[in-house]
Amino acid sequence: MSKLTRTLALLASIAVVSTAFAACGQKTESTPTPATNNTSSQAAPEEGGNEEGGNEEGGNEESGNEEGGNEESGNEEGGEGGSTTLEAGAVNLPDTDDTLTVVCWTDADLQNMFDVYKDYSSANVVYQNCGDNGSAASTQYATYLNSGDDVDLFVAEAGWILNYINDDSMSAPLSDLGITADDYKDAYQYTVEIGTDNNGVLKAASWQAAAGGYAYNTTLAEQYLGVTSADDMQAKIADWDKFAATAEELKTASDGAVTMTATIGGLWQAFSTAKNAAWVKDGAIQTDVAKEFTDMVKGYVDNGYVNPNVEQWTTDWTNVGLQGETLGYFYSTWCLGEGAQLEQNGGTDGNWNIVIGPQEFFWGGSWLCVSPNCNTASEASKFVKAFTTDASIMEAYALYSGDFTNNKVAMDKIVADGSNSNPLLGGQDQFAVLSDVAAGIKMSDSITKYDQGLKDTFLDTLKKNISSDTDTIISTFTTQALADNPDLTA
Amino acid sequence: MSTKSQYGEVKDDYHKKIMAKSIAILVVCIILTLICLVPIYILIVNSTHSSNDLAQNPSRFFFGSHLGDNLKTLMNNLPADAGKAAKRVAAQYSSAFSLGKGYLNSLIIAGFSTLLTVFFSAMTAYGLTVYEFKLNSAAYTFIIAVMMIPVQVSSAGFVRFMYSLHLINSFIPLIVPAIAAPAVIFFMVSYMKSSFPLEIVEAARIDGCGEFYTFVQIAIPMMKPAIAVQAIFAFVSNWNNYYTQNMILKNDKYATVPIMVSSVLAFDKNIDNGVNYLCITLSIIPIVVVYFILSKFIIAGVALGGVKE
Amino acid sequence: MASAAQSRIKSISYAKYGYMFIAPFFLVYCFFQIWPLIYTFILSFKGNQANYTQFVGLDNYSQILFGTGSSVGAAGVHEEFARALGNTFVLWFGNFIPQILLSLLLAVWFTDAKVKLPGKGFFKIVMYMPNIITAASVAALYVNLFGDSKYYFVNATLMKLGMISDPVQFVAGPTASKIMVMFIQTWLWFGNTMIMLMSGIMGISPSLFEAADIDGANSTQQFFKITLPLLQPIMVYTLVTSMIGGLQMFDLPYLYHNGANFSKQLETVAVYIYYNFNKGTVEQANYGYAGAASIIIFAITAVLGSITFYMNRDKDAIAKKKQRKKAEKQMKAKMKQGGLSI
Repeated sequence: MSKLTRTLALLASIAVVSTAFAACGQKTESTPTPATNNTSSQAAPEEGGNEEGGNEEGGNEESGNEEGGNEESGNEEGGEGGSTTLEAGAVNLPDTDDTLTVVCWTDADLQNMFDVYKDYSSANVVYQNCGDNGSAASTQYATYLNSGDDVDLFVAEAGWILNYINDDSMSAPLSDLGITADDYKDAYQYTVEIGTDNNGVLKAASWQAAAGGYAYNTTLAEQYLGVTSADDMQAKIADWDKFAATAEELKTASDGAVTMTATIGGLWQAFSTAKNAAWVKDGAIQTDVAKEFTDMVKGYVDNGYVNPNVEQWTTDWTNVGLQGETLGYFYSTWCLGEGAQLEQNGGTDGNWNIVIGPQEFFWGGSWLCVSPNCNTASEASKFVKAFTTDASIMEAYALYSGDFTNNKVAMDKIVADGSNSNPLLGGQDQFAVLSDVAAGIKMSDSITKYDQGLKDTFLDTLKKNISSDTDTIISTFTTQALADNPDLTA
Repeated sequence: MSTKSQYGEVKDDYHKKIMAKSIAILVVCIILTLICLVPIYILIVNSTHSSNDLAQNPSRFFFGSHLGDNLKTLMNNLPADAGKAAKRVAAQYSSAFSLGKGYLNSLIIAGFSTLLTVFFSAMTAYGLTVYEFKLNSAAYTFIIAVMMIPVQVSSAGFVRFMYSLHLINSFIPLIVPAIAAPAVIFFMVSYMKSSFPLEIVEAARIDGCGEFYTFVQIAIPMMKPAIAVQAIFAFVSNWNNYYTQNMILKNDKYATVPIMVSSVLAFDKNIDNGVNYLCITLSIIPIVVVYFILSKFIIAGVALGGVKE
Repeated sequence: MASAAQSRIKSISYAKYGYMFIAPFFLVYCFFQIWPLIYTFILSFKGNQANYTQFVGLDNYSQILFGTGSSVGAAGVHEEFARALGNTFVLWFGNFIPQILLSLLLAVWFTDAKVKLPGKGFFKIVMYMPNIITAASVAALYVNLFGDSKYYFVNATLMKLGMISDPVQFVAGPTASKIMVMFIQTWLWFGNTMIMLMSGIMGISPSLFEAADIDGANSTQQFFKITLPLLQPIMVYTLVTSMIGGLQMFDLPYLYHNGANFSKQLETVAVYIYYNFNKGTVEQANYGYAGAASIIIFAITAVLGSITFYMNRDKDAIAKKKQRKKAEKQMKAKMKQGGLSI
């Protein structure tokens, strides 16, 4: 008797297994169900039995509560912006789904966009994470985009975007969403040039112009350098020689307790992008800038201006700022908003200021690309237009997020109105400081599809071999880079 | 008298030696136990502290009071007046480390894989032991030969193949291959050869039982000990299989426990150490608890010749 | 009367059932393992990055093995692979030796009837525990405890105790990180090996030890003359499984790092393979190198396996019959495998 029961149980479990497979099979063939969100822009009623949707519901309402009481977006923008109606372009892709899925790597960083967009649209926008950081995303997107899972738009970084926009199986032209280069008259042109593929087709649009600056701790600056204004600080670090001299002064004054800047990675960002030199030219790896940088940074490390063991984007990176062990960080604008890196690494006391630093530089930036599998074309079109062409939305977004948006009109207006004051920077307007930097970005000349990999390899090699001589470091790097990229030559 | 005392001394000496040895061994064992348990203890302790406390004093040995706060962050259940930074952290952790979802995914994968592994391995082992056919020994030799092939050697092709079948972000490539588990078959064949009387099959045939029926009705219950042991190991190894899962599952909603942990490890922004520790704790504790409940059985299983992963 | 039925049954051919019972295994195995293996083999003859469709013959092999070939960076490819292979063996060796010594010692102690050890069962359970924890979690745990700066537990504690003045680079340091991985690997596996060895020791006939006792052999002599020789089959089994496990070592070396990218100094062959094929779009990835490295590892596994078993073949004669049988089967397996790969 009991044997029979067991047999039945076993058969039942096999049946369950096979049904599960059948179900799995269907999943990959059919259009994915909409309710698969991590952060849905609506607390829309979701399909029953979707456990993760249920889980996140609380979170969504949380962010919903936030929209009204934000000090930065403030009074003036909310109402005005809400009246803007979004219009989709003439789309050339299907419009069969009602959930706009945006693939990215950290939805938390895009939370600002999602908060702002809610004021203008009731569309169901879902941010889908793939990869846990920019580097990981660059390697994982390809697999995700081909998996058949829902994807309408995806976010790509400057370091590796060219791999995706030059592959027609990964990305579709923006014209499929009814968006053309003409829509970007007010944009910073380099973003348009980078978003254009090898055949001259516009495939990606950026919502930001990633100008960078040097943010420093005013308390420490006053204590050790006697500097009390941002202009004085800028004068003290106006070029790399002065930067080093100030670092020496700081070291002496603080008895080596405070470094000039947190990481080698940050220094590299400021140093290299300002040089505007490509990593790869005619298929050959260029190491001139790397060499120059290595020479400089080895001196910095020997003199204790920077701690080579602190890695960017780690707990240490955060702690050296919070514990007052470094004077400043090189930041991009997207680090400066409320809740972003400036706050995480510097606290909320407002004792930070931003200046241009030794060189005008820029840092990364993210683009919105269209998947060829986009099936929410109208909503996707509205979304891309809202954040990359619509001046009023972009202005609202800039004020809300602290991010330098890709619209000259909007940014000029903010600077002219003086409507932005960043409490983290003691009331300073980072846009005023950085608007010239943004206007001067020429990244499109120097960007290659190998950038992310080469940069990671270079910084890794540099840090591991910081005590070797420059030639050894560069040749170690070249060897590794060539091994990673058989397409290239030295 | 002198001989007696001498004898006594020797005996005492012997006892002392044994005592000393026992104590020395006990000390070593206690040290090893501490090495095994202390990291886990510190992990749990740290998950009850806030990131700030840990930055100020990372060397903490006693429980703190922030477990609730860390949990709220992880569940994205912050109070409405929480700052944007805290909300960012909460949003990031809750979407990458969604406990219920991760455990469910892991359970589905490990559970179904285990069922398939033990059932089909038992079936194959039964086929190889009970029936005589031309290719029997060739098949068995093949199974033993492929037993040791590392998964990595075929993974490049595996991924490309799954890619072309559009089986990325699907559980199929993680579950169905479990049908073919050479090491488990090897174990089950050894088990059947030593403790499965073939006369039973013949008796069943005389009673008119079908072959498959005989296998399910008679053989499986008799192989229960072997199946149970292998089920546990199959479950553990599938649960812990980060390599294959990481190759196939690229979408947050299919993330399993190991993938969630590696996500937390890979975060480059909005890091909160207290929550980091909490995530790792939550990925470890349930397994450890289940392990302690089943430990006697598992240890016996390993002794029986559990196959190393 | 039964015999009539029996002979009737015997006259029926059951061979087809045999095929039916083993068919699912072979179908699934061919689909999910053999074909991917062949596919990997094919990929190893194809180019990398933009040349991924091109047939390049043995170019990838010559680059990886000898540092010569069509790519300018061939020397670097060879260097990296050699380093990965070296790391694999160093990391394996560095965890196998302490692991087997520790496990053997504990196994002998735990099975020694003369030693009175309270809580033996408890110790066994605790020592096996690390083995069931997910390797990814273990890596995360150790990265977070042993972080490189004074903001992490171990360094902070050591500094507080005054044992070090500057933080130790447990994660980024080239030597320290290797030692850490060896330690963690030992931590994970010593309990498992110990229990396997214990079952081996308990399988040795107690009369042998009794006889040795009567002959006046002390425990050291007993260990070297009885326990160790008789344990050999199970030691070989442990060695081979550990070696093959070592060649696949991935989770820990891959995840034990700070920052966005894995540590090159911990790059094992498994990491090398994964890194090369998991680089984004097909034009970014190096499927050729990954394929060639995979096939080389396949060959190494086969050769190592056969060598180990050849060396131990004759000595097995004194082992228990069951263990001998087991080992022989594995030896056959290795021979067969060796034959396949050549």
